[in-house]
Amino acid sequence: MNTHVQSAGVPLLEIRDLSLRFHRQEQVAVDRVSLSITAGRTMGLVGASGAGKSTIARAILRLVTPDSGEILFKGKNIGLMNSQEMKTTRQRIQLVFQDPSVSLSPRRSVEQTLMEPLQHFAIGDMNHRNEKIREILHTVGLDESALRRYPHQFSSGQQQRIAIARALVTDPDLLIADEAVASLDVSIQAQILQLIQKLQMDFGISILFISHDLAVIRQIADDIAVMYRGQLLEQSPADPFFSHPAHPYSKTLLSFAAGKTPSNWTSDKWYLERSRRSADSTSACVFAGFCPDKMAVCEQIEPAVRDIQHKNQRALEPHCVKCHLYDAEQTNDQ
Amino acid sequence: MTANTWQRLKSDRYGMSGLILVAGFAVVALCVWSGLLGQGWSEVSGNRYESASASHWFGTNLLGQDILQRTLFGTATAFEVGLLVTLCSTLLGTVLGGLAGWYSHRWPDEIILWVKGVLDSIPFYLFAAAIAFALQGNPWAMHLAMIITFWTTTARIIRGEVMRIKQLEFIEAARAIGLPGVKTVFRHVLPNTFHILLVQGTIVFVAAVNTEVILSFLGLGIKNGVSWGLMLAESSQEVLAGHFGNFIAAGTSLFLLLMGFNLLADALQDALDTRREFM
Amino acid sequence: MTPPALKIKELSVWLGTGHGRAPVVDNISFSIKAGDATGLVGESGCGKTMTAMAILGLLPASGVSVRSAGIEVNGKDISGLDSLQRRKVLGRDIAMIFQQPATALDPVFTMGQQISAVYRRHASGSKQHIRQTMLGALESVGFSQAEDIAAAYPHQLSGGMRQLAMIAMATVCKPAVIIADEPTTALDSSTRTLILQQLKRLQTVNKTAILFISHDLAVVSQACQDVMVMYCGRLMETTDCQSLFSHARHPYSAGLLSCIPRISETRPAPINSIPGQVPVATELPAGCHFAPRCTRAEAQCRNSVPKLDHENGRGAACFRPL
Repeated sequence: MNTHVQSAGVPLLEIRDLSLRFHRQEQVAVDRVSLSITAGRTMGLVGASGAGKSTIARAILRLVTPDSGEILFKGKNIGLMNSQEMKTTRQRIQLVFQDPSVSLSPRRSVEQTLMEPLQHFAIGDMNHRNEKIREILHTVGLDESALRRYPHQFSSGQQQRIAIARALVTDPDLLIADEAVASLDVSIQAQILQLIQKLQMDFGISILFISHDLAVIRQIADDIAVMYRGQLLEQSPADPFFSHPAHPYSKTLLSFAAGKTPSNWTSDKWYLERSRRSADSTSACVFAGFCPDKMAVCEQIEPAVRDIQHKNQRALEPHCVKCHLYDAEQTNDQ
Repeated sequence: MTANTWQRLKSDRYGMSGLILVAGFAVVALCVWSGLLGQGWSEVSGNRYESASASHWFGTNLLGQDILQRTLFGTATAFEVGLLVTLCSTLLGTVLGGLAGWYSHRWPDEIILWVKGVLDSIPFYLFAAAIAFALQGNPWAMHLAMIITFWTTTARIIRGEVMRIKQLEFIEAARAIGLPGVKTVFRHVLPNTFHILLVQGTIVFVAAVNTEVILSFLGLGIKNGVSWGLMLAESSQEVLAGHFGNFIAAGTSLFLLLMGFNLLADALQDALDTRREFM
Repeated sequence: MTPPALKIKELSVWLGTGHGRAPVVDNISFSIKAGDATGLVGESGCGKTMTAMAILGLLPASGVSVRSAGIEVNGKDISGLDSLQRRKVLGRDIAMIFQQPATALDPVFTMGQQISAVYRRHASGSKQHIRQTMLGALESVGFSQAEDIAAAYPHQLSGGMRQLAMIAMATVCKPAVIIADEPTTALDSSTRTLILQQLKRLQTVNKTAILFISHDLAVVSQACQDVMVMYCGRLMETTDCQSLFSHARHPYSAGLLSCIPRISETRPAPINSIPGQVPVATELPAGCHFAPRCTRAEAQCRNSVPKLDHENGRGAACFRPL
């Protein structure tokens, strides 16, 4: 039963020009990112570690405060919500973490862990809550006997199922999975991905799936957003992304993922890239130093975000890229 | 978890002997409190300095009091001091250390650290004397002095642990649903410090009993009753005159109880250390 | 005939648990020739890291017992060595690269100090010579600014750089065999490619034999020529990587392969998974350990243990191979 009715035209989550810099860090964590997530779809947020993906997830839940920009959930600005409204919002957005062995409270039983959100958000009465947690456990493929046990008594795959159950128990509209399968063995990873796909089909929840693994993203995402050093370089529906990625960085990522080294890449370059600090950056485009298609303008002027929706695309999903290669396209500000 | 811990503890011979020693003394203390043993600690039942005999197993002291009775009563005193100081200082240290760690580098932490710093800088025995004086010889002055100063060690340890634990993802998960800080600390953070507290508790117990001995030498010890510390203090003169009864009885008991606790503490630390799970 | 760089004969490891002794490594045999890289693939808990530790003799003496018919490095059996003799061998003839470079490195010493320390243990020379060798090791893994890296502390380097520095540390004495335990697991794709490149160089230039342990079949296929698939302490299949990917013979290998998500131009089919769970070490099923989860299992599979049968270097421990 799809309980997530969404008013047509309003994206479920919209991030506008979000910027965030951590104290005592010179590198900007999130740099003017604009992104939108449509209800019922899965957005895959990719990029190397440190690109800012997890920071965005934290900002959505107001675990960190942005320096500028806004986040709109169902049209309402999260930054302006009072604590009561924020509480309701937190009920609708849930997070699944990477490492289930530390994301579950070790001294709390599974029952206590699953009950906590229900109690905190005052959802239903005791009967309803008891039913709900049993139902959720069943949905993620675990038995009622798990309720009495503690996290360390389960395998990592089972622990991640419990973490997913905890996230689903409040019937959220949006599930944020932050590298949720990265620490799992490939066969467990497959099981969890299957579970997530099934949950999306059955409950119609929207998913923001953060990962550095493009193959995993290919399996599960409807839309892709690529981040590099805090900036969003490309947002695209999945099929066009994997068949003809627009941004040179996207092409580089896909190349590495296939085990092929891009033509312009040397180990010296890699070393430079790793040890680079933002103060060293002399070029306007954040990727210019390592871009195989770099042009002179890339060093001087920061590229604008261009809309490159192809005409043969049926969907109205946004497809935009931040690169001078597409300057000839019509500028269509979102 | 506790089943595994118990298994590991059982297999540690030194730890088990420590446990048995402590348990034995604890039983004696219970008997004293319930009136079964040691009730004749103050009555003069014999001649002075009688040597060990059938009626007085450990002999008598300067006043003709039965040393055995006094030793038994001293067990209860040791436990009274130890338990009271341990429970109160651990509680205080956990709460204050927990708050300091959770709000680290913010004003609650600054205040608590400042208080801790001041208390740690005062020479303890001077402090104990000051409290005794201020409370006009109240029998609980000694316990109070210890509680007020012992909590700082526990607090320091707990503060460090809380600062470590709050980085872990399950705390972030609690924050992600908007759980208030205080609830998070008491529900998710502190329960993960219990294994440390258990070990720390045994250490504080030992420290409390040891401190009482020295306080007795200074005349600041127990008021209504007798303790091993008091007996040892009394014996310091007696020994020169060749009467060892007090010294041996109190000294041996003290040694055995504290040794037992130390063995138990070490074994508990090993048994609770889940990282030794080798797989 | 020169002996293989690494030869393992019937290696078994038991952990003494409270509920009875469970073999976490069960009669493993394999060999790797100089200059070859072989992958040891399996999921967490299958015993692959245990195997590596047993080869190096790094398992604790109590609670664990290791038995083998021989662990030979360049023909020399190291299984019976006492700890003093073993210390001479580790680092010089056989070295290990660990999974978490952050915790495998000592935070209070610079990279240069740590690498030099390894070299000094096995060779002698003037301070100059040691420093040159250390810098050479760093350069050989691709650091053109070797001096900067040598002066840096582990926390000042990124994950990939630490791992490269670890490789430099492992190779400074030019060992014949390197065991790499999940060297690229914590790293992103560009760093991973770099690490694998460096490992390949070691193979060609130094003729080092590499045992590459990983749970990631895709990475192993990029890094190695041959692969061994391990499950619950036993080798299920040994073959070359290409054959495994084109036609795996053991149902478990095939199952693992079907779980791997792939990048494709069109939306991939819903992913497969292997039903069931990996059994706990204390409750291993009799017969073939994979039988309970295998779609092709028969009575024979549950009653007796299929042996790895080698023909032309390929083998599958299965009564009904694909």
